[in-house]
Amino acid sequence: MRLGSTGNVRRFCLGGTALLLALAVAACGGGSSSSSSTPAASTAPHAGGSLTVLEGAGFAGDWPDGLDPATNINGAADQSYMDAVYGELFELGPKGAIIDDLATGYSFSNDAKTITITLRQGVTFTDGTPFNATAVVWNIQRDLKSACTCKPTWPVKSVSAAGPYTVTINLTLPDGAFIDQIFDSTADWIASPTAVQKMGEKAFAIKPVGAGPFTVVSDTLSSQLVLKKNPDYWQQGRPYLDSLTFKTVGSDEAAYEAMLAGQGQVYEDMSTPSLLKQAAQHFNVENQLSTSPYDLQLNTLAPPFNNKLAREAIYAATNFAPILQHVFNNLYPVTQGFTGPGGICYEPTVPGYPPYDLAKAQSLVKQLGGLTVNLGTIQNLVAQETTEALQTEWNAAGIKTTIASYPLAGLIAQFTSKKWQAMVQTAGAFDPAAGVGVGFRFSSMSPFSGVHDPHLDTLLNQAAGTVDMSQRCTLYNQAAAYIAQQFYGPFYFGFAPANIAVKGVTGPGLTEPLPAVVVTPTILWEDVANNS
Amino acid sequence: MAVAEELSAGKASRVLGSPGARLAGRRLLAAIPVLLGVTFLTYVVMNLLPGDAAQELLGANATPAEVHQLEIQLHLNESFWVRYGNWLGGLLHGNLGTSLSGGEPVTTILGQRLPVTAELLLYAFVASIVFAVGLAVLAARWPNGLADRFSMVVSMTGLSVAPYVLALVLIYVFAVKIQVFPAIGYVPLTQSPVANIRSLTLPAAAIAFPLFSVYTRLLRADIVEQMQREDYIVTARAKGVRPWRILIRHALRNSLFGLITLIGLNLGALVGAVAIIEPIFSLPGVGAILISSITNHDVPVVEGIVVVFAVVVVLANLLTDLLYAALDPRIRYERAAA
Amino acid sequence: MSAPLPDILLPPEVTAPKPLRARRTRGKTLKIAIPGGLLILIAAACFVWPLVYPVPKPVGGSILDAGLPPFSPGHLFGTDPVGNDIFSRILYGGRVSFEVGFAVTAIGLVIGGLLGMVAGYWGGGVDAAVMRVLDVLIAFPALVLALAIAEGLGPSELHVIWALSVFSIPAFGRVARAAALTLRGQTFMLAARLAGTRGGRMLARHILPNIMPQLLTFSLLGVGVAIILEGALSFLGLGIPLPEPSWGSMIAQGQGTLSTQPELVLIPSAFLFVTVVALNLLGDALRERWAIT
Repeated sequence: MRLGSTGNVRRFCLGGTALLLALAVAACGGGSSSSSSTPAASTAPHAGGSLTVLEGAGFAGDWPDGLDPATNINGAADQSYMDAVYGELFELGPKGAIIDDLATGYSFSNDAKTITITLRQGVTFTDGTPFNATAVVWNIQRDLKSACTCKPTWPVKSVSAAGPYTVTINLTLPDGAFIDQIFDSTADWIASPTAVQKMGEKAFAIKPVGAGPFTVVSDTLSSQLVLKKNPDYWQQGRPYLDSLTFKTVGSDEAAYEAMLAGQGQVYEDMSTPSLLKQAAQHFNVENQLSTSPYDLQLNTLAPPFNNKLAREAIYAATNFAPILQHVFNNLYPVTQGFTGPGGICYEPTVPGYPPYDLAKAQSLVKQLGGLTVNLGTIQNLVAQETTEALQTEWNAAGIKTTIASYPLAGLIAQFTSKKWQAMVQTAGAFDPAAGVGVGFRFSSMSPFSGVHDPHLDTLLNQAAGTVDMSQRCTLYNQAAAYIAQQFYGPFYFGFAPANIAVKGVTGPGLTEPLPAVVVTPTILWEDVANNS
Repeated sequence: MAVAEELSAGKASRVLGSPGARLAGRRLLAAIPVLLGVTFLTYVVMNLLPGDAAQELLGANATPAEVHQLEIQLHLNESFWVRYGNWLGGLLHGNLGTSLSGGEPVTTILGQRLPVTAELLLYAFVASIVFAVGLAVLAARWPNGLADRFSMVVSMTGLSVAPYVLALVLIYVFAVKIQVFPAIGYVPLTQSPVANIRSLTLPAAAIAFPLFSVYTRLLRADIVEQMQREDYIVTARAKGVRPWRILIRHALRNSLFGLITLIGLNLGALVGAVAIIEPIFSLPGVGAILISSITNHDVPVVEGIVVVFAVVVVLANLLTDLLYAALDPRIRYERAAA
Repeated sequence: MSAPLPDILLPPEVTAPKPLRARRTRGKTLKIAIPGGLLILIAAACFVWPLVYPVPKPVGGSILDAGLPPFSPGHLFGTDPVGNDIFSRILYGGRVSFEVGFAVTAIGLVIGGLLGMVAGYWGGGVDAAVMRVLDVLIAFPALVLALAIAEGLGPSELHVIWALSVFSIPAFGRVARAAALTLRGQTFMLAARLAGTRGGRMLARHILPNIMPQLLTFSLLGVGVAIILEGALSFLGLGIPLPEPSWGSMIAQGQGTLSTQPELVLIPSAFLFVTVVALNLLGDALRERWAIT
């Protein structure tokens, strides 16, 4: 049960007896907002100072299209910069708490088809334009109309301002995950309409204007972004930092060396296990909370995995514990489903999950007359090492594997050609209904899914369509158990990268873990301080 | 016409009508098909790559309809010749098109990134030539002496080491262990000349070391050969001219011809060096985006970079040919007679 | 990719008389024998050792042995982060380096040498045409083509050889042409022409044998360059596909853990370096030797 889900609280209030009413008053009185964003540091954070944050090229370190929410194709990957410049309507904070930033509350209609968002009053964009419902509606409509595939995927019927600080969003289908999806969505970042119109889209993308904790000083696309404190930021005493600079580096190793050389104080999203171990000797290493476990997708529409026995053999031949220990230094938890410790409805063990059984695997392979697999994945270190380790393990069961790793385009081509057999990917998100969640990998509607099963589709759609959290979790548990029962694809481990920081730098994501939004969490830059 | 008259500078009218100028004109004309050929070849190669920019841009979630729409928007649905023709036409007006990735004009992107790469390469060239001349002269002064043996060892090392390995080692030693130079990043010249030079030193060293090795070997061999074989050297020695003077004023000047030609040849290969070195040091130059542009099928950006380098290579080769001809009258007259 | 075309390193005239010197035959033989011997040793190790003396497989290592340091039992050079034995990867990777290096050079030698020889000998229109084509290839950024081939056809050893051959051909072309041009003016050539030797026979009997030494020494240097370039392609992820070993891709992979396991970079770098040095020394020594004959 999460705090802040007003649908629950309202039902609670409405259905209450006298006894419950007394308790409910306390819960209702708390309103729909949860904790405010005070840092958990024991000493008061030092105000002022500057910070250089390093970002890895190939993911967050690239923003070739600029930072306009309606046109930034990299979307969620650039969340650090977007968050610093625009702030967010709602933020995902430590322990999965939904934090009000530029919005102060939300509510769902009973049928989960209408969402009402209340906005913070007295906020202005850095160019003086007032931040209000008109501006937010303009932004969301613009995002929905854009040609970018980063645009929000809600089934929106209409977006309108119900008052100067109230926005109403009407959907054609119920979506209980709406607010959970907003962190993942470009609609969370609100641009100043006057600035967009005055500067033109191209210039705006390079020097965006928002209402966030920082303003842009200079922007060299995919190389360096220099920001300074927004003196009119709505939150008193924030941001702590006077200036914030983002720089792109080539790799984890390059970032590590740069930090050792004193050229950066923070590096986001380090995943090289041996470097993490070494970095811990010099820096603070903060492991984030995983929400997107690594899994193996099996293409059930083509051989060999249209045969259930072959899929069962894969489950039986895979023992992930030694891989985790030797390759990943036991940094991440084993998972059996698409939920991770940072997300909602986390279920570490799935009942009926087929265990490792080498003898069974070998006999199944013999029964099949041999099993050859083409195993693919994306070109990054963790994924590649996983496939190589699996290749070795499956060999013991008599499964012959060829491995290949692809850049993004090649990966897409593999999926669209429908000739793929097995792919190591990540599945899941903070909310399984959001982003690269479960539907993306397991629904029959998705071109990137190997599963076409109406029963699973029903479970997932129902879970997305209701606001009742306990019901959603029950449905997701059922889905995970069903996936295991049909051997649709084993799950491996809850990967989340780590952020490393020089001692003395504090903040959510740096000295306390954050749940990942899409694989990587969004650091709340207004709460970061450099006390060194 | 007396050779002496030809050699005196400033006779503009004679120069213009001279075989040298005709040579220059011929070579310039010959350069145009080369440039056309290079750009055409690049266009062909980029088009042969599977997939296209629209798919790359829109990423994993795109539907075929969305991809098609973007293709139309980016004119990718038009035929090869139409696209090439459009681009070529734009080129003649100084317009290199816009990047398919972000819509920025290619000229803007090049304008931002070329100075970084240019400065890096200039630094590398100057360093490699200065050190090469210095060491080669020392080595040639006392063949098989200490400096000579040292030069042989050092140049052999430089020829055999891979630039990317050298870069990694340099970072580790000079940026991490002894923190003399930064490991990553670029400081613009306008911001701080000292920091600018510091930020480019390690990458320039990684590029310069192999170049320096080749130049040293060439110069040393050439100078030594001259000192030992050429009659005019014997004459000079017989006249009592001091060894250093012979070395520098005569042998070195003649050897520089060969060096200049070699420099012209190198430039094309340096695109590759820059594409490897710049990302290692996170320098915002053209090398850094070359690879990602190719992977993203961002043809205008790739073509823009190729055109610039091709022009530089062709011009450099032209210049060296002309310099050769200007400094060595034999060449001019040989060509004219041929 | 900055190793340039060292055709200028060669003596300007093939048959120019050299001053007689006391023949330091023994010194010269050593200069050939030592690097030559070293090369043969390394090549033999890469190609023959695994056949004769069992080594662990270069791929498919057990992840239980991941990240072992050098001199661990059973793993002379240790293992990489997924458990592959590094020593075996060095040997198999060396095979790739030698194969690519020699194949690329051979193709350049044959095709480029032929083109250049013909262009230099015939002169005129043929020469101009060939030179233009070579100019285009030289001005063309090598990387774009190599990347395109790797992307379009998929990374593999064969494709790397094709991609690199595009550059070895013009390099050999220029050398062969320059040498043939020089020969053209020699008196013995005039004599042969007066005696009635024509075209093909002229090329085969007179030009080819005389430019061969230059081309061969250039070849040895070219092998070194090709090996480094293959390493660069693999370093960029466009050469030999993982998990097959190649010295370049081993360096690239090891780069990611330079701080924690520097031997992953240093060991293949050392092998790469020693091999190329041996090739260069051998090339130099042979050039010295043949220059006198």
